Amino acid sequence: MTRYVVNRVALGLVVLVGLAFATFLIIHLVPGDPVRQALGAQASPQQIEEVRDQLGLNDPLPTQFWDYLSNSATGQFGDSFVQSSAVSDLVGDRIAPSALLIAYGLLVALLIGVPLAIVAALKPNSVIDHSARLVATLSFATPLFWLGLVLALVFGLELDIFPVSGYETGIDGILKTLTLPALALGLALTVFVLRILRSSLLEVLQSDYIDAARARGLSEGRIVAKHAMRNAVMPTVTIMAIQVGFLISGAVVLEQVFQIPGVGSLLVESVERRDYEVVQTLVLLAGATVVFVNLAADVLQAAIDPRVRLAGR
Amino acid sequence: MSKTYRAVLIALACALLAVTVISCGGDDDDSGEDIALSGLQEGATTTGACEGEPVKGGNLVYARQSITENFNSLKIVNGNGDIFANNLIFQGLVRNDPKGSTKIEGAVADSWEVANDGMSYTFHIRPGIKFSNGQPVTAEDVKFSLDRFGNPKINVTLAAVAVGYKSTTIVDDETVRVDLTQPVPAFLYNISIWPGFIVPKNLVEQDEDAFFKDPVGTGPFMVKELVRGSHLTFEPNTNYWEEGKPYLDSLRWDFATDSNSRLLALKDGQAQIADGIPFSQVNSLKNSGEFVVQAAKVPYFVGLWFNHKREPLADVNVRQAMQYALNREEINKSIFRGVGTIPNSVLQQLKYDAPPSEVPPYPFDLAKAKETIAKSKFPDGFSISLKYPAGYDYYKQLGLYLQNAWDQIGIKVKLIEADQSSLTDSFYKGDYDLAFPYAQFTSDLPIPDEYAQFVAEPRSGLNGFFSFWEDPQITKMVREFVSNPDEDERAEQWPEIQKALNEQTPWINVMDLPFITAHAKNVCGTDINALGSDQLENTWMAKAE
Repeated sequence: MTRYVVNRVALGLVVLVGLAFATFLIIHLVPGDPVRQALGAQASPQQIEEVRDQLGLNDPLPTQFWDYLSNSATGQFGDSFVQSSAVSDLVGDRIAPSALLIAYGLLVALLIGVPLAIVAALKPNSVIDHSARLVATLSFATPLFWLGLVLALVFGLELDIFPVSGYETGIDGILKTLTLPALALGLALTVFVLRILRSSLLEVLQSDYIDAARARGLSEGRIVAKHAMRNAVMPTVTIMAIQVGFLISGAVVLEQVFQIPGVGSLLVESVERRDYEVVQTLVLLAGATVVFVNLAADVLQAAIDPRVRLAGR
Repeated sequence: MSKTYRAVLIALACALLAVTVISCGGDDDDSGEDIALSGLQEGATTTGACEGEPVKGGNLVYARQSITENFNSLKIVNGNGDIFANNLIFQGLVRNDPKGSTKIEGAVADSWEVANDGMSYTFHIRPGIKFSNGQPVTAEDVKFSLDRFGNPKINVTLAAVAVGYKSTTIVDDETVRVDLTQPVPAFLYNISIWPGFIVPKNLVEQDEDAFFKDPVGTGPFMVKELVRGSHLTFEPNTNYWEEGKPYLDSLRWDFATDSNSRLLALKDGQAQIADGIPFSQVNSLKNSGEFVVQAAKVPYFVGLWFNHKREPLADVNVRQAMQYALNREEINKSIFRGVGTIPNSVLQQLKYDAPPSEVPPYPFDLAKAKETIAKSKFPDGFSISLKYPAGYDYYKQLGLYLQNAWDQIGIKVKLIEADQSSLTDSFYKGDYDLAFPYAQFTSDLPIPDEYAQFVAEPRSGLNGFFSFWEDPQITKMVREFVSNPDEDERAEQWPEIQKALNEQTPWINVMDLPFITAHAKNVCGTDINALGSDQLENTWMAKAE
């Protein structure tokens, strides 16, 4: 088990260094200079060069990358030149709304997806089964910003249950302001929970040990809850872990639509201004989250199912 | 497939369609119906609930298209998001008329005299004027602030407005004299905007970074809280010098960069006023009867830049032919929903501009366009690219329109969409053929001096504002204009320059546009100055009828 975890962690680190390299290269190679953007049309070439020198932007790219990598490894993310603040402060101020939105969106997907999947698996090819999958697939296929706007229009403007945009803290505030974006995020994600859980449940429900449980006269509810779900839930956990990337990118879009001051909207603003330090840090952070969640899902699987951790031997 | 199943499917499809219709219905106006600018409110509301005297009180929420990042007037990083916030916190010695004319009036100074040769200005500080922390404004503060304005190492982003600044001398406690190295007739305008704002010397010297996080100025409002990316809350400056102002108890700017979100916030009542109203929404908002849609005349245009290093564009016949091939009536109607003004100048709408009767706009005349391009060195046309900013539906539409219009005179246009950073980067480097360099292209001043020098003064180092165009004759005219202290003569000189520029057409002004805001009917006194900045000290909220 230890060896398995060590292997997975090492692999995760390689992925992160690769990601850091790719992000660094992309943001430095796309046209657009942060100094020029900040100083504007009238700044003289000398002024621009001076500032670029101060910021180390005239150093060779490998040197800049090495500085960035070694600083990031020790948790120093530098200062945003554009915003004249430490990157850690900028990100720290805005991480909570995004994390809450993602967690809330995941919860919504599970709350809607799991019961529907069970019903669909118990009555395959019924009207409920087909309509649930149709609606879930359509929600996934709908562009998130549009889904968000429609929810804001219906539940905010027409029904006046929630505010159409904004963000407030505290349990009340979060429930008030994050419910609509989380619903949009959750609805888009439901299709994964629904389809994967449904098909694994269907498979499990047809296996011999379920027949045996049925023969012992256990109720259908007990069979699903105690026997089938245990085995069926694993693929769902894996798929959900993979979808963390989708959740993060979804949060970026929804933060714009709902005016949530999270890291997603910070990322968009920073890309527009070529704020290198902030962009690099945020992409690395998002990457680290995806790597960590996948790692956790793998370890969890390995812990539950010995076949996984022994497969490599 | 069973009958019930099919029925359920049909019902679901209908439900989805219904949602689509609700969301689109009434919002998008695609009728292309003409709305004359006169159909919109041009000044602040004075009818209905807003008749009568302003009353104190009220909490106003303003949904803003630009985010505010910082309050340092000499370190503007986010355009109007920063500038318009600074305008509420600080003031210069003088200011632009809050009612929107191009007149200059007193702010920190209540009066001033100009030397006959135009080489020095003497300002009298407004008696009793205080910063928002209660500290009186001194001559020392004024000198300190103006010296920062005149220092190109500190005033980096807008050094051009400090042209001719020599020094400030303290005459007595309430009087300062500013000396210039040359007559600068635009001087009062130059110090009226953000680089010239007056700050308390002691606090800035103590800790500049800390000061601009919690700024103190003589403007009508003070910063209460800035939550980055979310909102900015202001509270009234109780030491403000204009009697009884500001009227509001509190003011909050909600940053809503997405135009749909701004409109939803307005319609839902979460915000009572919103800026950056998309052209496509003007009609539906106006027709809803619930809001006042206001169009402010500001120096804002759709500038289409030519790179004169590209041989065909260096030919004046080509450039004029491109002008004649544009049907601006049609562009205004179909793309700008009639809110635009057909320009008779290649620059923004500025003071001293002659009316269309004196300097006529380019008419749409396809025959003449063909005739003119036939006289050029490229009678059979050529191929060229046009870069435009991403994220704006109207630039995309405009690009397609131009592609089609110029195709008729043999010019093949390839459209390239680019994000603003890439676009300005290639613009500054001269790496473009045709470009809409800025999504919102405005002048910093309401007078022509700034842009005339940007484009026609080689000493500015801006290469004809990155068009690489030169015309020694026009440069000579501009030099005379920007150094002439005689107001009447300037008013005669500018139309000549306007006309010459129009003929040369170094680039194209496709359309003059207003700033469009919308507000609830009980929001009154929504004045906007000639630079498009909201004068929220004049804003008040009428009691519900």
